[in-house]
Formats: sequence, C-alpha cells, structure tokens
Amino acid sequence: MTRETLDVDVLIVGGGPAGMSAALRLAQLQKQQGGEPLAVAVLEKSREAAAHMLSGAVLDPSALRDLIPDFEQKGAPLAAPVHSDQVHFLTPRSTIPFPIIPPPLSNHGNFIVSLNALVKWLAQQVEAEGVDVFTGFAAQDVLMDGPRVIGVRTGDRGIGRHGEQKAAFEPGVDVQAKVTIFCDGVRGNLTKELLRRLQLGAGRQPQQFAIGLKELWEVPADRVAAGTVMHTMGYPLRLEEFGGGFVYAMPGGQLSVGFVAGLDYKDPLFDPHMAFNRFKQHPLISRLLDGGTLVRYGAKALPEGGWNTIPQPYMDGGLIAGDAGGFLNSMRLKGIHLAMRTGMLAAETAFEAVRSGDTSAAGLRRYQERLDASPVRAELYPVRNVHQAFGHGLLAGLAFSGVSLLTRGWWPADLRGEAGHDRMRMLPADADRSSHLRPSNETPIDRRLTFDKVTNVHYSGTAHDEDQPSHLLVHTDVCSSICGPEYGHPCTRFCPANVYEIAHESDGTPRLQINASNCVHCKTCDIMDPYGVITWVPPEGGGGPQYNGM
Amino acid sequence: MKIAVCIKQVPTREWQPRLTDDKTWIREHDVSYEMNEPDAYALEEALRLREKHGGEVVVCSAGPARVQQVIREALARGADRALHVEDDRLAAADASVTADALAAAMAEERFDLVLTGLQSDDLGQAQVGVVLAEKLAIPHSTIIMDVQADPASGSVRVKRELEGGWFQWIAMPLPALLTIQSGINQLRYATLKGIMAAKKKEIRKVAMPDARPMQQVIGLALPTRAKETRQITGSAGEAAKELVRVLREEARVL
Amino acid sequence: MILVIAEQRDGKLNRASWEAIAAAQALAGELPVKAAIIGGSVAALAAELASAGVAEVLTVEDPALASYTPDAHTIALRAVVESASPTFVLMPHTYQTRDCAPMLAARMGRALITDVTALSGTGKDAAFTRPMFQGKLAAQVKPLGEPPFFITVQIGAFRADAVRKGGNAPVTPVTVSIDAAAVRQKAEPPFQEAKQAVDLGQAERIVAVGRGIKSQEHIAIAEKLAAALGAELAASRPICDNGWLPMERQIGSSGQTVAPKLYLALGISGAIQHLVGMKGSRTIVAINKDAEAPIFEVADYGIVGDLFEIVPALIAELEKN
Repeated sequence: MTRETLDVDVLIVGGGPAGMSAALRLAQLQKQQGGEPLAVAVLEKSREAAAHMLSGAVLDPSALRDLIPDFEQKGAPLAAPVHSDQVHFLTPRSTIPFPIIPPPLSNHGNFIVSLNALVKWLAQQVEAEGVDVFTGFAAQDVLMDGPRVIGVRTGDRGIGRHGEQKAAFEPGVDVQAKVTIFCDGVRGNLTKELLRRLQLGAGRQPQQFAIGLKELWEVPADRVAAGTVMHTMGYPLRLEEFGGGFVYAMPGGQLSVGFVAGLDYKDPLFDPHMAFNRFKQHPLISRLLDGGTLVRYGAKALPEGGWNTIPQPYMDGGLIAGDAGGFLNSMRLKGIHLAMRTGMLAAETAFEAVRSGDTSAAGLRRYQERLDASPVRAELYPVRNVHQAFGHGLLAGLAFSGVSLLTRGWWPADLRGEAGHDRMRMLPADADRSSHLRPSNETPIDRRLTFDKVTNVHYSGTAHDEDQPSHLLVHTDVCSSICGPEYGHPCTRFCPANVYEIAHESDGTPRLQINASNCVHCKTCDIMDPYGVITWVPPEGGGGPQYNGM
Repeated sequence: MKIAVCIKQVPTREWQPRLTDDKTWIREHDVSYEMNEPDAYALEEALRLREKHGGEVVVCSAGPARVQQVIREALARGADRALHVEDDRLAAADASVTADALAAAMAEERFDLVLTGLQSDDLGQAQVGVVLAEKLAIPHSTIIMDVQADPASGSVRVKRELEGGWFQWIAMPLPALLTIQSGINQLRYATLKGIMAAKKKEIRKVAMPDARPMQQVIGLALPTRAKETRQITGSAGEAAKELVRVLREEARVL
Repeated sequence: MILVIAEQRDGKLNRASWEAIAAAQALAGELPVKAAIIGGSVAALAAELASAGVAEVLTVEDPALASYTPDAHTIALRAVVESASPTFVLMPHTYQTRDCAPMLAARMGRALITDVTALSGTGKDAAFTRPMFQGKLAAQVKPLGEPPFFITVQIGAFRADAVRKGGNAPVTPVTVSIDAAAVRQKAEPPFQEAKQAVDLGQAERIVAVGRGIKSQEHIAIAEKLAAALGAELAASRPICDNGWLPMERQIGSSGQTVAPKLYLALGISGAIQHLVGMKGSRTIVAINKDAEAPIFEVADYGIVGDLFEIVPALIAELEKN
C-alpha cells in the first residue's frame, strides 16, 4: 500500500491554543500581504477540534485581543469576567483566607473560560479562513534530513492489538513542510524527540512538571456567583509538596474544580488523584459541591519550570510554541495567553522565512528575537526562579515569590531546578513491601463527591479503538523486579486514569497490566516514572478524551 | 449505479444524558456528535458498490446545520456529493417527518439504490428506511448483511438477517431501498486527500417540506430500577437453592 | 378495539405473539381485543388463537403469503386492519415486523411507535414507553393523528404467560386479493448459518465473569454454569484484556450493550463502564465477595459470598431438575 504524502509550506502540529493561533495568524498575514498563497495544514490527534483541551481556566485576554481584536463581536466564548479573587490556606478542617491577594493571583480584567469551548471557537475562525485542520491524525515521528526538520509522519491506522494490519489499514501520511511549528503540548512526543536529537535543551535547565486534575460540576445556580475565582494552598499537600486547588465559577451553576500537584514529590506512595479527592472533601469545597452533579473529569500535565527551562525554540525547518516549549507562567498559573502569543510569533517568523526562502535555523532565529522583545519574556523572565524556589518547600517558595515581586525578579544567581522524577525517594528499608501498598494519602471515596479513578475516567468521555497495540511503551521490565521493592510501583498511583495495574503471576511475581484505552493523554507517566522507562506515543488518531466544557 | 446513502448525525456513544428543563428532549449544549454507526456501514457498502459497478454515491441527510459534520465526513470517505435538508426542527423529528424530508430531497433524482442504516443510535425507531421506500414507491428489504447488485439486469439480491442466526436471500428489481446492518463490511478511514477534496464537493441545500409529525415525546427520563436488591443469605447450598427457586418462581427466567 | 397481529413461520406461532396479546389486554382495559393471523394456511393457528381470550380471530389465507414478503404482507394486513377498524394495532417487535410495519403504517398514513416496553393509561389516553439513546433514556410517547395507531412491543417486555386465556372466539376470514405482480420481492427459503460470531445481543441469558474468577482455568466453572442455564458466556473488560475470553464476549462501554432476561454477574465489581453495558437486563443476579461492590446497586438478587462455593452449588441445584 502506498503511503500518502502531502506538501505544504507551513505545517502546524497540534490544534490547541498555540496551534490554532499560529494557523489563524498565518491566514491573516496571507490576507494582509497578499502574494503567493501559503499552503498551511494543522494536524490534530483528537477526533474533533478541542476534544483534548483541558485547563482550569482563567484567561488573560491580551493575546486574544491582539489576534482577534473584535473577539467579543465574533462571539468568543468567555464564560464570565472575573470579579472576585479569593486565596485560602487550607488546614485539615479549616481555612485561613489571605487578607490580600498576591498580585500574580489577582485576576482583574481576566475571564473564566472553558479552554475546550475557546479552542472550538478558534477552530471555527481557522476553518473560516480556509485552513485545513486534519483531526484524527496523530503525528508519530519527525521527518528529518540530517539536522533539518522536513515534516512529520502520522501514525499508521488500522493496526490490530498484536501488530497485524487490519482490513482497513492505512499507513501514516508523510506531511512535508518548509517550516514545521511544533505545538504538541506539554511533554509533546515530537518535541521530546527533537530535544533529544538536536540537544535543544543544552545549557537550559531540565523541565519541571505538575499534574492538573479537573472536574466540571453542576450545582444550584445561585450558590457561587459567576466570575468567582478561588485558589487554595496547604492541605492536603505537605509543606514540601508543590501545588494547590482551584474553583472557578461560571454562569448557570457550572463550577470548574481542580487540583494541581507538582510532579516532583518525594513520597513514592503519594497519589495525586487521592489529593484531589481530599481537596474536595475539605469543608470549604465540599459545601460548594454538595448535592451537585459531576459532569466531566480530566487530567493533564503542566510545564512549570519557567523561562530557564524553555529549550532553544527554533531549528532548521522547525519552531516550538505553547506548552510544548514550556511557555507557562506558573506564578500566575496561566499559559493559554502565552501559548497563543508564541503561536502567533512562530507564525510571523515562519511566514517571513518561507517568503524569504531561508527556513534554516539562522532564518528562524528571528523567533527567539521576537520572543525576547515581546510580552512573553517581559512576563516570564522576572519569575524565572519562582518554581525552582518552591522546590525548597512551600514556605521558601512563598517567601521567594514575595521578595521577587519587590525586586522585579532580580536575584544574585539563577536557582537550579532538577527533573521532578529524580526527587522521588525509594521506600524506606523497613517499609511493608507486600504487593498491595496503599497510597500514603488515601481517603475513603463515596461515589457522590469523591470517585475512584475508573469511575472518573468514565466521565472523561475517553474512548479508543480497543483493537490496537498499547501506546504506552515500557522499555525495560523493572515492574517484575526492582520497582516493587524500590518504589512500590508508583505508576499505579500517579496515573489519574488507572492505566497501570499490577497483577501477579501464580508464583507471586508482579506483572504490569496496561489498560491503554483508559488513557487521557495527560503525559504524567512519561514524566514521572522514576526509572524513565515509559514513553508515551499517540494511540491511533481519533482516540482519547472528549473534554466538552473543560 | 447511482446510489443514495441516508446518514444521520447522532450523539456519541460516550455521551451522558442531560435533559431540557421540560424533559421532552436532550440538552444539546456540550453534546459531541458522530455519524450513526449503521449509516457508516451503509456508506461503506455504497462506496464498494461504486468501486465495483461505477457510478455515483450521493449522501443525503436531514437535520440542523450541524449535520454538515457527518456530511463532510462522508464526502471525505469518498461520497461524490450531498443533499442536505437543513432545518432545526429536524433535530428531534420523528421517523415520518425525517422520511418526508429525505424523500423531498431525493425526489428530483432517480437513484438505482438507496441505502440507510437499519436504525439510528438516538431514537432507535427502525422506521425511516422502510417509510422512505414507501414514499419513493420502491421495494425494500431490511437488516441486510450482503448486497449483490446486478445493474445490467436491473436487479439486486440481498441477504437479510432474521432472528437466532437465520438468514434469507431476497431478490428485487432496481430501484430498491435496503437498510444495512452494522458489521456488513469494514469501514475505511478518510485520507488527507479525501478530507481536502471534500471541501470542494457539492452540498445542495434542500428546503424542508411540509411534514406532519406522527408522534410526540411527552417525557424523557433516566430509566429507574423499581426494585430493591434482595440479598440471599445462608450457606452456599442454601443460597443456591433459594436463588434457583426465585429465578424460577418469581423472576420466571428459568 | 385492539387488534393484535400474530406472527407465524412454517405453521408455528412466534412466541412473541403471545406477548403482544398480553400487552393488548393490558392496554385494552374494557375494550375488546381481537387477533389476526395471515399466511398460506393458518386454520390450526387460528384455532389456537381463538382460545386466547380474544373476541374474534381474523385470518387471511393466500399462497402469496406462504412465505413472507413485505409487499404481500402489507397488502393483506391493510385489508385486515381496514375491515376491523381498531383503535390500536399491536405487533411484536420482531425482525419481520421491522420489515413491514413501517410500510403498513406509512401506506395507511398512520402513526407507528416501535419497541414499546411499557404502557400507561388505557385507550385513547395511552402513552407508550420506549428506549432511546441506546437505552440511556426512557421516553414516554403518544401517537398523533387518527386511529388506528400502530404499536410494536419489545420482545420480552410483556409476559406471554400473562395472557388471560379462555373463550372460543369466532374465526373470520378476510377476503383480500393479492396481485402477484404487486409483490416485488422474491424470497428464497430461510437458512441457518454456522455460528461465526457470538451475538450476545440476542442471548436470553448471560453468565458474565469478572476479576473475581481469578484465573483463566477457573472460567471453566462459569462455562458449566452457563451450560446448565442455557446461557451465553460473557465477561467484563479485564478478562478480555487478559485474553482469557475473546473481545467479542466483552460487556460494557467498550464492548457490547445487552439486555437479556437474566444476567448473572460472577465476581464482577460493577465499575460504571461495565454497568452501562448491562443494567437494562430484566433480572440481574450478582455474586461477589465484597458486600460494597457497586454491582449490588443494580442487582435484583445478590449473594455476598465465595463464587467458587456458590457456583458449584448452583450447578448442582440446576442439574437436579
């Protein structure tokens, strides 16, 4: 069977806020400047636009305003303007509200949004400009000619669970482009490959991540005023653990409830999903959800390391934008506007490069210059050490944040961070190593307010063709040997979707069982496995969660 | 062969029911849609027949503007063009109204074969295909697992599914209408080229005809279990005996 | 008056016809119920129906009806319905009914409500319950327009043994002339195919195994139970993921949705992904060691205990009879 090929001028990998903004910007530049029409294509692995989009979210509209000045007339789905910010320090039973809102967490002028709704709307704007958005196509490999990126190859479709070709088999498509803009999201599988092959992270700090778990709830409409933003820290995390919770109120009794836990925790028995359940059980939160209905659940990792962890974002024939590059402000807890802005700047750079004929790294270096001159650096550089400061604990992080606000980010030397999975400690020598270790932060679930992972996954709308090979690749079998005694199989705890389970052979040897079709594409396993032997690759295009309203 | 395929857009299988306030329909906000599964098999069958006998595959759909999603998907898989009866009333329309709409769209053309799915994943009435055949005054057969068309002689021979693993071959003159059973073939993927080409294919809009509804949904509800769980206790032997007894005498399933 | 159209093939009444009569008697209240039967030669069947507690049995006999075609059937049934002028016409929702009832109703310009599981009210105010969205919702529906209103009843929704039998109704032949040229279909005799794929959707009884079965070897005990019950074997996802049973035996959101008369869940915890595939079953029995297992929330009968003790006891009890 012959492999389909497609040639374009600019290929955008990923249809999230970065990718869609890049596509729209290219169409705008085309219209403004005329000339030879640019062939642009967007590849998106989900079945329909925005299906894999999940975020809190509170949107800083600055990038949206620049991209689409008349966004309000065009019906941009901004659920509610923020009119009330609350920050709480939680103790197990009670709360200490912050008397003043730390400036980075003040959201005046911002909007509570559903990222899924926003990206769906952006996709409509992109399609209206005639740009081809190919949903259901997962980019599997980067096509390279030496050090030059020449495009991507999408995954084969129609492969059975034992690797055999089914009747409808279609080999992956080779999409070749003069410039490829990688917007493949947090821990993007292609960006990860580029970082390795081209050493784009050389001289930069290792990226640091967190996992965000989120639910959409429906409660009586008058319970929380729309536009209310609540952030919490403290309980249920220990002082050494990074993260916190959030509740954002949208109209009609729709509440976004979520919890972020740094993927750098030391306790191998910690379970982020359990922390989310504990958060919901806290009286401050449970009284908001009491009697409500769970509508949707999802999870995704976030890149938290900041400016010093962003790799070189340009190369021969390629650019990186959005979460894939780590463009997220972990102090303000915002990344959507940065994804959009970097997508726009990448588009401008790519447009110029294609028109001038120089799409080499030298030609594309203009992207870095644009970033440095833009609000992206102005915003991210001053807070470049904040997340690393939190690596020393909550109190150090808060203290550092306070100081850096006063000094506008000045600090004698940049703080060094380390990759989070390296911080995980092994089980203490006297630990119970029976095969049924419970999470250290376990809490009873009631299936009304709190849920087990399997029930939660049902509410993510996740579906995959069952008859395909597992897309979670475990390169070395540590599961049946050292992982149990050393870490107690942490994959069974950090995965928010119960993909990983340990079964036992008749002689008691542990065996990893992978429930691949539960996967919500959050990338936590690729990030947090202490041995670094799990690689996430996209399953067959079209599969994954259905994050309506998230 | 000129083949018409009627396709319907339905909520995805993963959709969780949410109802309107008056509980007469579902809340369409935040619903994800897909092509009705039996219709996808009908489309695939039509594409295979065209590959074998030549001709044209025309996709017909009756529904609000959003059904363009499944029309585009059908065009991307290889259908040649489409007819769309566009009207918001068709979102919750009964089989008779839907069949009237489709018949109006197809009236001006002469199709050799009309394929539909055997029923839809939303209303599940299993009526539209047969009612449409009656309105088009062409013969039909339902729940078809094999289609052998002979355009030269103007006839078709089809394998119809019956209960309990039984089947039957039926022969009919063309034009005819068949309702297709899922699993009759293997669905093909849309290629990139197919998706791009779909944008240029014709989707002719057809006005909604006057159509009289024949039934009314007065209420929708989540199915409730009226009974409490009856725990059967005792030793294994006692419990087994009691269970067999209740299954035989109360539940009457033995 | 309610008219029930019974179904026959090769001189045998389809059992579901009795269910339709039961439904008609429930719907009719004080109104009379009549039955109709058509075919090549139906005298014996008419006699059987005459003692079904009906007011009259209408028949059509014609060589054109000896083997089923929708065209011939519709012509004959239309004549019967027009001669009887019922308020409602009831049929069982069989494959054959699906093939011809919509044609009959459309030809007569009348409403047809299919796959009805329950009735509320009687006579003209009746509302009919039917599943929608693959059983996720139950809809209450009323027919519009003029009678007769056509209704098909879901197989197994009404109890054949609930028919109030009795009486010796008169058998009235209805004269119809069926023009052979008007019958466009040529039907060959039905045949049975060697079972290629498992169709759990058709099974009346299902025994399903979950993680509690512990190992592939132990599935044998579930197979024995299934055989003793005349049931099909099915499984929850983990069993199929392990390869202990083929994927086509999987019940749940990523497998099949079934609604048999009896669903026996062995060692299945009842994760929501499994429940959505079977909670429409008429009678659900759960056997599980864990009293808190969610499966007990949907079960009609539950046994908290060790399936390895209870299942052999069940098999022994069933084999006794």
